Amino acid sequence: MSGFNDRVGTPLASAKQSSQFPVRWRILDAAERIAALIWPRSLYPYTGYLLLVPALLLVFVLVIGLVYIGGYSLHELDLSNYRLKESFSLTNYYTAFTSATYRTVLLRSIYASLLVTVITIFLAFPYAYLMVRARRAMTRKFLLISLFLPFFIGQIVRAYGWLIILGKEGLLNNIIGFFGFSPLKLIYNYPAVILGLVQYMLPFGVLLLAPAITAISRDVELASESLGAHWCRTFIHIVLPLAKPGLVGSSVVIFTLTLTDFAMPEILGGGTTDFIANSIYDGFFQLSNSGLGAALSMILVTLGTAFVVVIFSIAGTGTLGFSKGAE
Amino acid sequence: MKNISPVVELIDVSKRFGKITAVGNVNFSLSKGAVLTILGPSGCGKTTLLRMIAGFESPTTGKIRINGKPVQAVPPYRRSIGMVFQNLALFPHMTAGENIAYPLKMRRFPPQDIPELVERYLGIVRLTGMEDRRIHQLSGGQQQRVAIARALSFNPDLLLLDEPLSALDKKLREEMQLEFRRIQQKIGVTTINVTHDQREALVMSDEIIVMADGVIQQSADPVSLYRQPSNKFVASFIGLTSLMKGTVDQIEGTTVKFNVNTTSLWGQTSSKFHIGESVEGAIRAEQVRVHTEQTRPVGMDNVLDGVVEEQIFEGDRMVYQIRCPALDSAPIFVFDHDPAHNVLHRRGDRVVLSWNIRDLLVYPD
Ligand SMILES: Nc1ncnc2c1ncn2[C@@H]1O[C@H](COP(=O)(O)OP(=O)(O)OP(=O)(O)O)[C@@H](O)[C@H]1O
Ligand SMILES: [Mg+2]
Repeated sequence: MSGFNDRVGTPLASAKQSSQFPVRWRILDAAERIAALIWPRSLYPYTGYLLLVPALLLVFVLVIGLVYIGGYSLHELDLSNYRLKESFSLTNYYTAFTSATYRTVLLRSIYASLLVTVITIFLAFPYAYLMVRARRAMTRKFLLISLFLPFFIGQIVRAYGWLIILGKEGLLNNIIGFFGFSPLKLIYNYPAVILGLVQYMLPFGVLLLAPAITAISRDVELASESLGAHWCRTFIHIVLPLAKPGLVGSSVVIFTLTLTDFAMPEILGGGTTDFIANSIYDGFFQLSNSGLGAALSMILVTLGTAFVVVIFSIAGTGTLGFSKGAE
Repeated sequence: MKNISPVVELIDVSKRFGKITAVGNVNFSLSKGAVLTILGPSGCGKTTLLRMIAGFESPTTGKIRINGKPVQAVPPYRRSIGMVFQNLALFPHMTAGENIAYPLKMRRFPPQDIPELVERYLGIVRLTGMEDRRIHQLSGGQQQRVAIARALSFNPDLLLLDEPLSALDKKLREEMQLEFRRIQQKIGVTTINVTHDQREALVMSDEIIVMADGVIQQSADPVSLYRQPSNKFVASFIGLTSLMKGTVDQIEGTTVKFNVNTTSLWGQTSSKFHIGESVEGAIRAEQVRVHTEQTRPVGMDNVLDGVVEEQIFEGDRMVYQIRCPALDSAPIFVFDHDPAHNVLHRRGDRVVLSWNIRDLLVYPD
């Protein structure tokens, strides 16, 4: 304790010696001084809002696009000159909801999104759990790298990979043929699209679930076990409820990504299993009916938004960790 | 009543993690209703020992018996053990009441009895009326109580406490120690408590095991442990102890004379020494008397001159740190409980220290 007072330098004394400070400190100090000139102390309470500006700008640009698309969707296509009519009408929406084709596409997209979400979560949860809980660092790294590898490949290439494996002349059919069976039709159908989508979504699911599982203390699981619950009950009563934020977050992301997906249904469905995005593409570029494409886009945005709102109002935004400790 | 098997029995239990031996050849047994504290510095294997008893780890070698039956093959959820974790491990998504009811539901108690039991244990830990509070709505001490109630509500054969009090501030910790003692006596549950806080060990236990580096150093009741530490580690770990190194000069029964440089000191030992062996003397701060030059004691066995190096006021006592030139090693600590502090020694004052032969314990170095 002795000499405590002598050791504390006054700010003046330390300023004199500033040339002795490490370079990094001096650079940071200079940066702070410049920052203080540009953004004086009195404006500090607004720093948070300032940092929000770039993100808000991006969202704003998106909203402008949406307003334009919303505008298009209210004009019917004039078949005489392939331009949109001047007058406002709800014809495009009427077509989208009454035409059997679009109704099928809509329902198929929603149904497939639910299916893919459920299957992916089922597969992702054990993967994420193992990745977080594995005792050996090697196991954890292996699982993490296997997870990231597909990210480097991209969706189109991956879909093409599936074609190579599942195609008519593909790897699997070659093997089957080798045993004397006639080739199977494994692509250009619904299951192939689901398979491709699940594989595509799995890393998203795992990455969104892992932090939620990491947040569950291992001791809490052990406590449950020593209180009389074997792992199965521990999983149901402790792990699942505590992983809820991750489950909600990953479900929302997987559902919306699937609902809006284009490449998998396009490549693996081969026109047999169109999703909304494929119909929108066709509307804009095949039929040159931007009004109809825009109407379908608006329906898609509304669907996605409605889903997110419903999920969050059931689970509460607290599940995203917005308000820690809330119900 | 005779021949009743101990609640827990550890026979030559060791646990190795790769090359590290976390626990080495531990033996002890605990009879019904007793409180055992395992005391030792951080990293000495306390948690590992508890985790083996709870069934989260299995011993590398050795056997654990609970109620006379070997438990290697019994998973944690089949053992009748309540454990309070170092970090409590309460279930944050449940209320206090639901936490306490959890083991009752999992162990399939009759559903109609559960509310009553929850109520009863909330009462025992003095949390009546807080049943519907969420965990994060409770204070640290209250969470502690919920954790204890949760570990006790299903009437386990054994309660394990892994330093649950270590996160609390001193006052609350001391309150909880007494509180726990009260609950334990009321329920009579056999308990193993783990801590590195010697005061907690002395206050709470019927028996204390001191561990260092995974090995048991001494096992005794609190009073004998404090009065007769069996080796240098225990002597210096418990109480405020000063150590002095020297070589044996003369042996008379259990009394040993050893020389530190040119100074001769007399002490007591239970070991067998030979002349010239290097030894270490240990003296507790409360056994040393401080005098001034004017009141230099006559007829005391060990008298040393020293200079006050530091004077620490702890409220109920004054602690002096005194440097004795004759010992040239570590300073000697002295407690002065004089309530009036009539004779204050200041930093730099010359003083005279003395103590009785029987209070200086001599151990092999
Ligand atoms: N899973 C493990 N793998 C490797 N080493 C371990 C493992 N668990 C514990 N150890 C080692 O075993 C020793 C004892 O650890 P333990 O957790 O039992 O100590 P402790 O007495 O409870 O300490 P503290 O008072 O800090 O809680 C330590 O050296 C620790 O590093
Ligand atoms: Mg520990």
